[in-house]
Amino acid sequence: MRKMFCMLALGLGLIAGCSSGEVNSSTKSAQGEAFPEEAAAEDAVTIEYWHVNNEDWGGNAVKEIVQNFNESQDRIIVKETFQPGNYAGLLQNAQAAISGGHPPDVVQIGYNYISYVTENVPYVPIETLAAEDEKDPDFLSENYLENILDLGRPPGGDDIAGLPYGLSNPIFYINADLLAEAGWDPDHLPQTWDEVRSLSEMVRDKTGEYGLYIQEPPDSWAQYALVRSNGGHFLGEEDGKPVATLDMPEVIEVFDLMGDMVANGSALHMTWEEGIQAFTNGKVAMMMTTIGRRASIEEQSDFDLRSAVIPTFGDKERMVAAGGNALFTFSQDEEKQKAAWEFMKYLATPEAMQIWVEGTGYLPPVDGLAEDPDSLGPFFESNPLMQTASQQMEDVVPWINFPGENGIQAEQVLLDARDEILNGQPAEEVLKDANRKINEFIQ
Amino acid sequence: MSRVLTVPLPSLRGSLTSSPIFRKCKPYLFLLPALLPLILFIFAPLVRSLYLSMLSWNMVSPNPEWVGFANYQELLTSEEFWKSTVNTLKYAGCLLVFLLVLPFITAYSVTRVPIRVQNFYKTALFVPHVLSLAVASAIFLWLFNPVVGVLNELLSLVNISAINWLSSPTWALFSVSLIVAWNTFGYHFIILLAGILAVPGEIVESARLEGMKRHLGLLRRIIIPLCGPTLLFVFIMTVVMGIQFAFVPVQMLTNGGPNQETTHLVFLTYQYGFQFFRSGLASATAILTFGLFLILIIVQALLLDRRVHYEN
Repeated sequence: MRKMFCMLALGLGLIAGCSSGEVNSSTKSAQGEAFPEEAAAEDAVTIEYWHVNNEDWGGNAVKEIVQNFNESQDRIIVKETFQPGNYAGLLQNAQAAISGGHPPDVVQIGYNYISYVTENVPYVPIETLAAEDEKDPDFLSENYLENILDLGRPPGGDDIAGLPYGLSNPIFYINADLLAEAGWDPDHLPQTWDEVRSLSEMVRDKTGEYGLYIQEPPDSWAQYALVRSNGGHFLGEEDGKPVATLDMPEVIEVFDLMGDMVANGSALHMTWEEGIQAFTNGKVAMMMTTIGRRASIEEQSDFDLRSAVIPTFGDKERMVAAGGNALFTFSQDEEKQKAAWEFMKYLATPEAMQIWVEGTGYLPPVDGLAEDPDSLGPFFESNPLMQTASQQMEDVVPWINFPGENGIQAEQVLLDARDEILNGQPAEEVLKDANRKINEFIQ
Repeated sequence: MSRVLTVPLPSLRGSLTSSPIFRKCKPYLFLLPALLPLILFIFAPLVRSLYLSMLSWNMVSPNPEWVGFANYQELLTSEEFWKSTVNTLKYAGCLLVFLLVLPFITAYSVTRVPIRVQNFYKTALFVPHVLSLAVASAIFLWLFNPVVGVLNELLSLVNISAINWLSSPTWALFSVSLIVAWNTFGYHFIILLAGILAVPGEIVESARLEGMKRHLGLLRRIIIPLCGPTLLFVFIMTVVMGIQFAFVPVQMLTNGGPNQETTHLVFLTYQYGFQFFRSGLASATAILTFGLFLILIIVQALLLDRRVHYEN
């Protein structure tokens, strides 16, 4: 019997030993090599920075920035932690950490999750932190354009909740060789969606390939840009309450256009990764997707790759939604909040921004950096695709999502509707049905 | 000044082990090491899920709202839950063909070839299983590409028009099943092969001598009944684990689309919990899924298990 108890105790000891070992090792990996903890002052504040940047997507840039920051001063130690699963995965882990009483201090929140976070997760608005900064009270207005700061506001909100950091927009990637083969002058790229439609048909007829692919990840970012550019909207207001507006003629027109082009074989309907594969293999003449994929598309394409701004609907104004992330702080500790704000300000410095932009492909949210010859100017000049995205910055609008605790589920209804339309169902009928369902979720 | 204790102590060990309470507890103490993890990691989460399924909560809000059976009501009246249930059954059907019927036929065929060739088949068919499903999904992303994928290229050679494997509502579920099947086929094949090879040769031989010459008769009368336990194991693995395996390609490639055509109950639970942050609804889905599988296991115990012949 004694033996049995000894074995049990040993077993439990082993389990405890294993688990404490795991904690130590995970802490160590979270710290990485960039945190000279022993070198820091004893009263230094330690904060956690959660990001989505893996090795292939600017992970090393993030490590370098954090290391530089830690070495530049001894009051704050930043520990960077990569969170898998993109912005959804990060938010999911952040929610778990908050519910466990350990909120991360600086967190990248995708623009499409700002409504959800501001309504459901405890956070400190950036504007509050900036207002309390005695040394640098005008930091926000001095470094950011008003339309960029708006990206960090929740819909209809007054306060800037998050600091815009990662910034992307969708552009047209062009296979100039395929356009030339179809008989179109690649130096005169299509300006309107009518031209895109006829050019796509021309590509189909003359080359047997496809004219257009519009990205189809599990979000409606690209379609949002089209709908806004056509004067429509996904969300409106009625008697002070949010209402879905998918049944607007402008929205139906956009989805009709996409559905028709897929149905007549001039555009492709497939998953995002497949679409990029098809484009880089020379099977599609034009692709609308984010500038954030520039590096890999450039690397994989062995044809004359060009870019163009998103075409307009006739004379209507072009609008593209901002993609990327804003920095939030979930910390409840005042010292940590101040440290988080210091670190965020460092992330916006030209030297940190340069590493970030070159490492990820995002555009700099800080005003004037892209043109600055001492900062990112030369990088942008040598990269025409980045110039296209930069040129579109004046057309950037906030990416508004469905509000309320079921807002993300409402977005899924829209994605299902997109699938149905691209698989041949009539847009008007599908969108009206989706509109009804979304209203049930958001009201 | 202390008193010296002179009275001999009764043997503590002896009195403890001979007490009737200890004797009653003893078997449970032996069970404890096995029971403890089960309670901690299976039953406690199950009870917790049951409790969570009665809440409207996003895992962060300090005030979870008690909603009683409202989550169950919402689920049972929602289109997507029923679509997921039907899809789960479709997956089970597809996977039973790919991971029970075909590996069994293949395994039986392999037993008919010389040993040396048998070894080649064993290795060749098992190789895909060493890859993770995530890698398999990434490989199939290329194979399935409707424009540049190998599968459509092959189809075009026989004048079959291109199939949109992952985005067509007709093909998406089949395509996801195919990825799981490709990855897991080898494992099931090896188990079934072992089952068939374990059938005593003398029984097969005497059946032959009795005039059972056709393979179909031999399979039906001798091999299948004697492989009963193995077949039952593979059946349960296919239905229970196959659905869970199908989670990986769905999450990586289709996110449940197009229009929820590849969603199943396991993915729906994940989607509610971790994409929509509705932990109450997710827990309700998990509980109902548990109920569905429980029914399946009871049916299996009542019907199939009786027909299975265990040697011991």
